[in-house]
Amino acid sequence: MIKISNLEKFYRTEEVETIALNKLSMEVATGEFVAIMGPSGCGKSTLLNILGMLDDPDAGSYVFNEIEVAHFNERKRADLRKHNIGFVFQSFNLIDELTVFENVELPLIYTGVAASERVKRVEEVLDKMQIMHRRNHYPQQLSGGQQQRVAIARAVVNKPKLILADEPTGNLDSSNGNDVMELLTDLNEQGTTIIMVTHSEHDARYSHRIIRLLDGQTVMENIMV
Amino acid sequence: MFKNYLKTAWRNLINTKFYSALNIVGLTIGLAVGMLILIWVQEELSYDQFHAKGDNIYKVNASIGTGASKQVWGGVPGPVAAFALKEVPGVVSAVRVVTSYDYSVFRYKDKLLKEDFGKASYVDNAFFTMFDFKLLKGNIKTPFPNDQSIVITESTAKRYFGNEDPIGKTLTGDSKDPYTVSGVLADFPANSSIGGDILFSINVKKKQYTGKDFWKSMDQDWGNYYTTTFLQIRPDASTKAIADKLTDIHMKNQPGIKPTDGVFQLQALKDIHLYNPDGTSAGIQIVKIFSIVAVLILLIACINYINLSTARSMLRSKEVSVRKIIGAERSQLFMQFIIETVLCFSIAMVLAFTLIYAVMPVYNSISGKQMHFDLFNSNVWQVIALTIIATLVASSIYPAMLLSSFKPISALKGKVAGAGNATFRKILVVCQFAFSVGLIIGTLIINKQLQYIHSIQLGYDKEHVFALPMRAMQDHYEAIKAELLSHTEIKGVSTGNTSVIIGNGSTGDTDWDGKAPDVSLLISPFDMDKDFIGMFKLKFAAGTGFTGTKSDSAHYILNETAIKLAGIKDPIGKRFKLHNLNGTIIGVVKDFHFASLKQTIEPAVFSYRPSSWQMFVKTTGKDAPAAIKLVEKYWKQYNANFPYEYSFLDDAYNEMYRSEQHTSTLFNMFAGIAVFISCLGLFGLATYTAQIKVKEIGIRKVLGASVTNITTMLSRDFLVLVLLAIIIASPIAWYAMNEWLMDYAYRAEIHWWLIAVAGGVAVVVAFATISFQAVKAALANPVKSLRSE
Repeated sequence: MIKISNLEKFYRTEEVETIALNKLSMEVATGEFVAIMGPSGCGKSTLLNILGMLDDPDAGSYVFNEIEVAHFNERKRADLRKHNIGFVFQSFNLIDELTVFENVELPLIYTGVAASERVKRVEEVLDKMQIMHRRNHYPQQLSGGQQQRVAIARAVVNKPKLILADEPTGNLDSSNGNDVMELLTDLNEQGTTIIMVTHSEHDARYSHRIIRLLDGQTVMENIMV
Repeated sequence: MFKNYLKTAWRNLINTKFYSALNIVGLTIGLAVGMLILIWVQEELSYDQFHAKGDNIYKVNASIGTGASKQVWGGVPGPVAAFALKEVPGVVSAVRVVTSYDYSVFRYKDKLLKEDFGKASYVDNAFFTMFDFKLLKGNIKTPFPNDQSIVITESTAKRYFGNEDPIGKTLTGDSKDPYTVSGVLADFPANSSIGGDILFSINVKKKQYTGKDFWKSMDQDWGNYYTTTFLQIRPDASTKAIADKLTDIHMKNQPGIKPTDGVFQLQALKDIHLYNPDGTSAGIQIVKIFSIVAVLILLIACINYINLSTARSMLRSKEVSVRKIIGAERSQLFMQFIIETVLCFSIAMVLAFTLIYAVMPVYNSISGKQMHFDLFNSNVWQVIALTIIATLVASSIYPAMLLSSFKPISALKGKVAGAGNATFRKILVVCQFAFSVGLIIGTLIINKQLQYIHSIQLGYDKEHVFALPMRAMQDHYEAIKAELLSHTEIKGVSTGNTSVIIGNGSTGDTDWDGKAPDVSLLISPFDMDKDFIGMFKLKFAAGTGFTGTKSDSAHYILNETAIKLAGIKDPIGKRFKLHNLNGTIIGVVKDFHFASLKQTIEPAVFSYRPSSWQMFVKTTGKDAPAAIKLVEKYWKQYNANFPYEYSFLDDAYNEMYRSEQHTSTLFNMFAGIAVFISCLGLFGLATYTAQIKVKEIGIRKVLGASVTNITTMLSRDFLVLVLLAIIIASPIAWYAMNEWLMDYAYRAEIHWWLIAVAGGVAVVVAFATISFQAVKAALANPVKSLRSE
């Protein structure tokens, strides 16, 4: 599904140039669950942003579903993104002014799904995430675990082929964290490819494979058994 | 999708009540005031625009004299209309309107009502076909079946006859002349320059020429410029050719007249409200100024909105990023923010409508107009649509563009390009305050000019003088005068055809010793008794006044301007001829202002008439009520059939400057509102700045900064902007107001300190606004602010 080769990304300030990704290459197959680990500043988030087409690389190639996207403009990337990729963040990033239902409905609105179909699909996914009873609440009325469920519901409502998760359990206690990991595992088992950035060895064990980064390069890959 | 936008917009509005309130209050006031001003402007521009043939109707003006003595007069001699119809190609129709001063009261049965002077006119029959005034009853072809017929307006009919049918009823003018109502005219629209209550046939005026005077008939009287003459011309006719032809006809028909004496000009009917006959502003300038003020106030309101929305865009950056990440396109986000603005505007618009309805009566009384804010009126919607669309576009696009342009990843991390860079906002604040300072300067200068007008040496003393028509008292004037003067409450009594405040028309019918062939003089004649000059304390430059002897009937007194323009050397004893009466100049009075101070002093000539239609009584402030009572005794004795009427010259004087008073009051209000809205915006920005600098303030306080240090830090940036605004606005406002003052022949001096005062006001108000927030932020406990980060 994903093939990147010699990917490079630099951050420049007036005086310093930092290399975030240094000729990084990797592949992720459809249906895989990959964890990316590494110390702060190793380039994990940068990689995830590029994979999610939120950012573009300075050099190298990124093939997504056999399409070279490294040099796509913003509009093309946005179009590809909204039909194929779901995001889960550490800080949930729900929109405070919208209810649980409306937050989950939003991606469907942007992809132009009809209203009746939207209700059906949002209810379906809320049910699956066991958060249906909170559908009319606002994010700030929910616990962290519940918020992350809503965020996952929002990420999957469009039935994306790929979910990118950036430390999805980072703001949660261990019990809620485990629930979230179970959810992701379920989704993976149903066929969704998942790439997750994490600091947690515990969470990483849910994945099939761990890619360890240091200074923008792959230093090690562990295949989980 | 739209529902989602609206929902988000609404909830955003509710969640940030403080900023929403600032935004909506600013917009509401801005929109309401902007629309109120534009309604005023529209009303002014709508004058005389409703006549179907309006594009082809012109008023004939007379330009008399050349060079410095050139005067353009709105009235022309009576024969112009008749000759235009007969001899000038291209003229389709001609109408004369001559104000009637014949009657002041009319009686129907036992109902006696006073008619204000100037509300009755003699008109040609074509009046009813050339213009679009609606004849409700009567025959449009023969509106006056005979010379004793009158046409009255609907409301006049109501006053006299109530609900009875007015046609055929008789109104008796001044208890002597009966007139039969032959037509009822719909009331003249408020935006018509032509108006009145009662219309007589022009034949009534014609009959006043007895054939024994110098001018044998109205259609031969080329010497008096008193008819307002309208011509309807063919669309393809040249106004210049028609005017020139009229001038030729004048030359041919009045012996001794040359083109340098005077030429005719045509002025479009649609221009007569806003332009003087000579083409100078009669109001167009105020219309322009007010249009600019409306635009400035609306801009200030827009700037508020833009500043508050973009300043707070940082707080929206997370939402924008999330929406982008989950699939929103830029255009969709753009629409979302446009809709937020639309929502804000809709609320403000509804509130503004309510506000306009509420203040309309007050606004009408301040502006001296009768305007209506009627949502079913298409003209009102023109104003609304123009205002709303323009301001909406101006305030929505930039914030929407800025917000939708955020890069999702950096925005999530709080790095927002544009929102952090406040240069644009600073420029807007400078603009806003430049507008406000400009308006303050304008206000101060207008007030200064009005003060000046009131303090100017008019050259006469009008204090505590009241005037009344004498009517039957005229025949007993000398006796009444003697008796009145025996009372201590009465300091002086005099008579004259016109007061010193405002002259009574002009005539070009003059001649004098040594008159150069190319010089002609349009002069205002004053008739008076021997005490007039003394009572009004007019000063002599040379010679003496009237003595009250018989020989005075061949004596003239001229003002300095007349002497100068006529070019008379050593005037005393020289011959002067007014109309057909030769006489001797016995005195020269110093110039005095007998017209609005917008005009320079014009020539005047005094003739001796021991008894005129009007009496002037001078009293003192304290004795005025007693003096009025004393005069009333004689009024009742001689004029029992007429209601007692008198008016103080001070009131008449103030009436002359009423439109300036209105302008000044409106300007004061508008400037105040502009400053207020600007401050709302500044208050919002200061609040926001204090919020985002809360951590910096905390750290500074921990390091030992005092409340004063912090307040200064927060206020300084804003005050610099306000100072910049003052520097920019001052010269522009100075220039613009100088242009306005050019309308006045006598102008107040603009002192530098006016600008300083305006700037000072802006700085003080801005500082008060900012410091409230700054002090609040400076007083906050640093531990709290640092922890909250």
